[in-house]
Amino acid sequence: VSSQQFSALTEVLFRFLTEPKEVERFLTQLSDFATMNKISLGPLKNIVKSILLVPNGALKRNLSSEQVRADFIALASLNWSLACLLLLQWKVNSPTLTRLAVGQTLMINQLIDMEWKFGVTAGSSELEKVGSIFLQLKLVIKKGSQMENVYIELTLPQFYSFLHEMERVKTSLESFS
Amino acid sequence: MAAVRDGEFAALQSLLKAPSRDAVRQLCQECFSSPPAGLGPLAQRVCPGLAAGPEEAEQLVSALHNLTRHVVYRGLTRAEDILSLFPENFHQNLKNLLTKIILENISAWRNEAQASQISLPRLVDMDWRVDIKTSSDSISRMAVPTCLLQLKIQEDVALCGNSPVVSALTVELSKETLDTMLEGLGRIRDQLSAVANK
Repeated sequence: VSSQQFSALTEVLFRFLTEPKEVERFLTQLSDFATMNKISLGPLKNIVKSILLVPNGALKRNLSSEQVRADFIALASLNWSLACLLLLQWKVNSPTLTRLAVGQTLMINQLIDMEWKFGVTAGSSELEKVGSIFLQLKLVIKKGSQMENVYIELTLPQFYSFLHEMERVKTSLESFS
Repeated sequence: MAAVRDGEFAALQSLLKAPSRDAVRQLCQECFSSPPAGLGPLAQRVCPGLAAGPEEAEQLVSALHNLTRHVVYRGLTRAEDILSLFPENFHQNLKNLLTKIILENISAWRNEAQASQISLPRLVDMDWRVDIKTSSDSISRMAVPTCLLQLKIQEDVALCGNSPVVSALTVELSKETLDTMLEGLGRIRDQLSAVANK
């Protein structure tokens, strides 16, 4: 396989790594590559599998560039120049890959969505005329693999206090970013 | 709350046997605060002092409960309005005493009614902390700030009676989620000010 052909392959590989949901597209591109370059698909897939393992390991173990290149050579049995090509692509794509890995990190009871409504309580069985404001929030929370809806009601003073606290959180988060 | 019936006013006359004004005051407060289901036991406690028998006690307690709740329901705040509820031949001094007691307690009772009205689970407290995630199984080095928010939520007061159930819910928010949430809360605040200024 020439350097040029291998470059095309590395592009395909890294595009898949940065968009891991596009499995169909990746497999199609892989078989196109095999046909165009008259390589059989089976062995190609094996090599590709080994190559794909390296970036994940690199992130998990925070490997340096030399270590990454060494992994490409060792795990995928590639020669030095091909490994360098891969390393280059790795460096270019590593911010995106890092961001994806961070996104996959464990979150406990992640808040997915918030819906709200507010209105006026006009009357009740105990009080004929009330005229007080209520605020209702629906929080959609991801518990494990399921979504749970939590409904809460707040009074007006509670709402303002909640808003104030959330603004403090924002300031705190921003100072750490 | 339905208006107080004439027969019930007759039952109120038992209060004339009360030992003191304070006893009447105390009884009024207890009758208002008690839910209809609690009136039976309350009547039994009242029985020896004020009433001839259990039936009379029950009628008294029930009448006082209905009267106080009716006043709170209608939102009556003036003495004349309350006095006009009583029938013509009702004992004058007792009428004035009851009106005075009711007026003293009306705003506290109103707040009590509002606090115990049905609602969705209520937020009672919230705490937060900001963590920095430094590593995980998918990536060994990072510095991602994240917020943990703990909401203490109390179930519907009416359902819990005297032992409210408070549950704690801890939620994690990323910076992006927090920004979106603040946007939403800001919109609520703007709409609230628009309504307040009308």
